[in-house]
Amino acid sequence: MHDAHEHDYEFKIPLGPQHPALKEPENFSIALKGEKILGVDIRLGYNHRGIEKACEARTFLQDVYLLERICGICSHSHSSAYVQAVEEIAGLVVPKRALYIRTLIGELERIHSHFLWLGVAGHEIGFDTLLMYTWRDREIVMDLLAQLTGNRVNYGINTIGGVRRDITPEQGKDILAAMATLEERTKYYVQIATEETSIIKRLSGVGVISRQDAIRLGAVGPTARASGVNRDIRREDPYAAYAEMDFDVITDDHCDVYGRTVVRLKELMESFRIVRQVVAKIPDGPITVRAPRKIPAGDALSRYEAPRGEDVHYVKSSGGEKPERVKVRAPTLANIQTVKHMLRDRFLADMPIVIAAIDPCFSCTDRLVGVRHLDNHKKETLSWESLRAFSLGWHRAKGFDITVAEKKLHQLMEH
Amino acid sequence: MSYEEDIRQETVGRFDFLKDSFKIVRPRRLTLDVAYEKFSEVFDFLVHQGKFDILCTITGTDEGEYLGFIYHLAREGGVTLNLKTRAPKSNPVIQTITGVFPGAEIYEREIVDLFGAKVQGLCQGNRYPLTDDWPADEHPLRKDWKPSDSSGEEANHA
Amino acid sequence: MKLFRKIITWARIKSPWILHFNSGACNACDIEIVAALTPLYDVERFGIQLKGTPRHADVLVCSGPVTRQIQDRLKRIYDQMPEPKFVVAVGACACGGGVFKGCYNVRGGIDKVIPVSAYIPGCPAGPKAIIDGVVKLLSSLDEDKASSVSTIQGQEKVCDGSAQGMAECPHSGGTP
Repeated sequence: MHDAHEHDYEFKIPLGPQHPALKEPENFSIALKGEKILGVDIRLGYNHRGIEKACEARTFLQDVYLLERICGICSHSHSSAYVQAVEEIAGLVVPKRALYIRTLIGELERIHSHFLWLGVAGHEIGFDTLLMYTWRDREIVMDLLAQLTGNRVNYGINTIGGVRRDITPEQGKDILAAMATLEERTKYYVQIATEETSIIKRLSGVGVISRQDAIRLGAVGPTARASGVNRDIRREDPYAAYAEMDFDVITDDHCDVYGRTVVRLKELMESFRIVRQVVAKIPDGPITVRAPRKIPAGDALSRYEAPRGEDVHYVKSSGGEKPERVKVRAPTLANIQTVKHMLRDRFLADMPIVIAAIDPCFSCTDRLVGVRHLDNHKKETLSWESLRAFSLGWHRAKGFDITVAEKKLHQLMEH
Repeated sequence: MSYEEDIRQETVGRFDFLKDSFKIVRPRRLTLDVAYEKFSEVFDFLVHQGKFDILCTITGTDEGEYLGFIYHLAREGGVTLNLKTRAPKSNPVIQTITGVFPGAEIYEREIVDLFGAKVQGLCQGNRYPLTDDWPADEHPLRKDWKPSDSSGEEANHA
Repeated sequence: MKLFRKIITWARIKSPWILHFNSGACNACDIEIVAALTPLYDVERFGIQLKGTPRHADVLVCSGPVTRQIQDRLKRIYDQMPEPKFVVAVGACACGGGVFKGCYNVRGGIDKVIPVSAYIPGCPAGPKAIIDGVVKLLSSLDEDKASSVSTIQGQEKVCDGSAQGMAECPHSGGTP
């Protein structure tokens, strides 16, 4: 890997692994004029597995566990969105206790996902200390989820008609203890994000999208809320036990990556709040209601506020044991379409954090970026690693210095 | 009157032929079925007068002789409307809605790839989600399409 | 030549450089692979380092059931790795397709495309299983086996969704 020279980086952009006969589809194609991005083209589909078709060949129940594996970070979101639709078609009344447990797992998922995001975002801007601390904290949630559901990821907690495992008062105590620790740590992250000028500068004015454009382009989740769009499915189309929870929908007016950071941090605080309410108010009762093997004919639309935004499932039954149609629209598919807009007329070095800030639900390890230099007609293919290295070098050359923030974070964490 | 009733009244008031197909399934869930010749005007009305400013996604379905298209619209108040229409499989031509919802592009490309819909007015661009070397006449989500040896092993579950 | 190879093997075992690749997975295994790097698990104490390029990697740690879009890139990356090289399939999908076995657009496991040295089942495979697997693979090396890799083609890996153990494919006799 080469280091970018600060004065002529446009001619010495570090190259990723490439082969003369390389004809692979690039995930991103950028047209660069001088330093500025003129256009972005995005190619998706490399983790297209054919899940919707596979759903039609499996029973309604088997599909719960298949759909859970659409994305390993928001697996509970997908399985919940799906069972909600099937339960609606079948006219099942899911016991309240099950809805509370679904809510609990959903919020724990949001917490782990937002901590994960903080780490990833930190990594993209060279703030690896943040990655280490947030992923360490995240392990508290992973352990808790493993304790409650039996697995760190892909919890398998849902079934059609309710949930498969109950929680005990003992576990309730563990949950509250975990929330207390995490809340204290999150306050430090909020401090760093709101007080460290290097961080604020680095994230501000980057990945900008106005409120109007966020709505027009269909942005969802924290990406939209950071542009002042007051939309959260938990509030406007409540599911599980959210209608009985007291929480705030977090919005921010910065309209940029900084805003998206603040929104996620504040959402963590709201999640701790919701989890505490679930533990305090969870009603007694059964955790499941019997579901028929054959789901009556009908269809339903289900919406769920996943950590990344609105997850939509549409299910259609023609009265058999297997669904007629299952359609999934994950939140990243909505948000990815705003990226072109966010990157236009911006620097190539902005790309890593802008992409990371929509919290994309595709692999962070393998994205190829094709760069076409309009000035000299050169074309290069960068691996994500190279692009990140270039971005870090570029920002360092512009004076971005992370060391003060790192020291501060160490101080706060190790007091 | 609820949002749902209001919307029903306004829509049916404007388009009398919809009075039987406009259904309030439950709070926040509306559904409407329209023949494709009338789709454009009903769609424009719902988006502009009905204030359905969110397009959740577009679902393609295989209905035998027809390809079905469900436009999942939503708006403030969490009210959603499944706007259903269809076009004959022999000539599954529909118009793009990207002029109204730029984000519809990816959903339209999906129904082109997976169902073989022909969306007019869709600008040049990468296909999604299939590879460039995927055979042009194979649409995996059609009911008569089965995974062959070339694209993977036979589904052997359930 | 033998001494030279012995040194290289020792270096590989003592400080393997790893390339992580996702072949169309749901990200669960990938996050667990990355989690293995963070303070709680900390693979750097084993000398394991994550590298960004195949040209410097000893071990390819691979997740996912291999989608049609990604298979050529996977082959290419494997080809770019210098010998001796090893491939670890992480997770049920990488081992044999997992829940996506039979889906169109999915090849059904890493060994359909490149030779695999070790299989780590799990859905996802947890960090402990991943570290265990990689360390076991490397400690099974000796100079005779260092330059060859064998694979078990078509071996059925049954995923029960909760396995945290590790299955290892024995190396066949080495070639000089």
